[in-house]
Amino acid sequence: MAQDPNTLARELHQTNHTGGPDDGAQIQPGEEKQTLKFYFTPRVGLAGEVKRLREENPHAKAATYNPDIADALRQRFGGAIGEVTLYAGETTVYVSRDAIADVCRALRDEMGFDYMTDMGTIDRFTEDDRFEVFYNILNLSAKKRLRLKVRVDEEDPVVPSVVGVWSAANWHEREAWDMMGIKFEGHPDLRRMFMPEDFEYHPARKEFPTLGIPGSLPLPAREPDGELQPDPFASAHTAEAAE
Amino acid sequence: MFSEEGGFLTTSVDAVVNWARSNSLMPMPMGLACCAIEMMGFAGPKYDVARFGSEAMRFSPRQADLMIVAGWCSYKMAHTVRRIWDQMPGPKWCIAQGACASTGGMHRCYGVVQGIDNFVPVDVYIPGCPPRPEAVIHALMDIQEKVRAHTSVATDVRDDSGLIVEPTDEDRRLIAA
Repeated sequence: MAQDPNTLARELHQTNHTGGPDDGAQIQPGEEKQTLKFYFTPRVGLAGEVKRLREENPHAKAATYNPDIADALRQRFGGAIGEVTLYAGETTVYVSRDAIADVCRALRDEMGFDYMTDMGTIDRFTEDDRFEVFYNILNLSAKKRLRLKVRVDEEDPVVPSVVGVWSAANWHEREAWDMMGIKFEGHPDLRRMFMPEDFEYHPARKEFPTLGIPGSLPLPAREPDGELQPDPFASAHTAEAAE
Repeated sequence: MFSEEGGFLTTSVDAVVNWARSNSLMPMPMGLACCAIEMMGFAGPKYDVARFGSEAMRFSPRQADLMIVAGWCSYKMAHTVRRIWDQMPGPKWCIAQGACASTGGMHRCYGVVQGIDNFVPVDVYIPGCPPRPEAVIHALMDIQEKVRAHTSVATDVRDDSGLIVEPTDEDRRLIAA
């Protein structure tokens, strides 16, 4: 007879007192201390948890836990694969910048990762390797997810384009260029996505002021065929920028 | 104006023209964000702006005389909004619907114009995020009041002591009638 789902849920509650991905500590019966419960954090870091989840439901929660794929990548590409991290049950593989296009092509052609769900950039605002480009990819048939990350320096923010691998990356890379100023080498049409084409800045960078650079975005004239207004509220901008 | 029985009544041109204009304002829906949903409710059968003669949304600016800017306007969109405003024939009026169109609202950032009155003249501002359709109807009625108070001839208005004062809308409406 199949296990009653209510019993299973109660057991999960009872065993998930601390809930951190790598924290297997349990509260002893009779102990008064209460801890915050994180029911929505995947528990695959706990000992035996992956095996148990796979036995119960091969599709549940383990889709993001893929150390075997990371091992296969390391075997194939060697030094181009950097650190492999596991957070909240999700495997992230750091890839060197020069190898990212080859790694992506191998993942698509040989390991079945045929779908790029998301891609974007992170401004870590650090001295070295300031920007991070991430790729969330999905193997539709095997129901596997993987995250790749590439770090680039502020001085040379160039990453090889993966449009040739997943054409969905086209607009994502244009957005990353527009907002963060990362150039994608080999992109077929690297124009700005959202901001006007003559805009000179990359607004998602952390040093960009929230209210923008005064005068960088002109407004239309108040009269037909008049001159553009360079900045109608420059004083507001500078007051904010000074704060 | 002549009645069916062959008699007549007298009025002024202002009163007739203002009556006709105010009861058939043709809105140009400039729906830029979520406020546009409330604007659709305002035009739909439940709130039924046909009662005020403004049910005919004109998607061509050349056939409209009231622009309802519904939603936040980016710097990139501002040029299009202004161009559409310039394409509308006068006399024309403008409503800034919602907090974002009026002041930028919660979008206090580099990409959003902090109030559309920075580049188009606005007659009525509607507060709210988004405003209810009743509020949009109220704004329309304010515009109607403004249209009815329009006079084609300048007339002095004096207070009790005989000084010339700025006429109120009520004064203007009385003069126009």
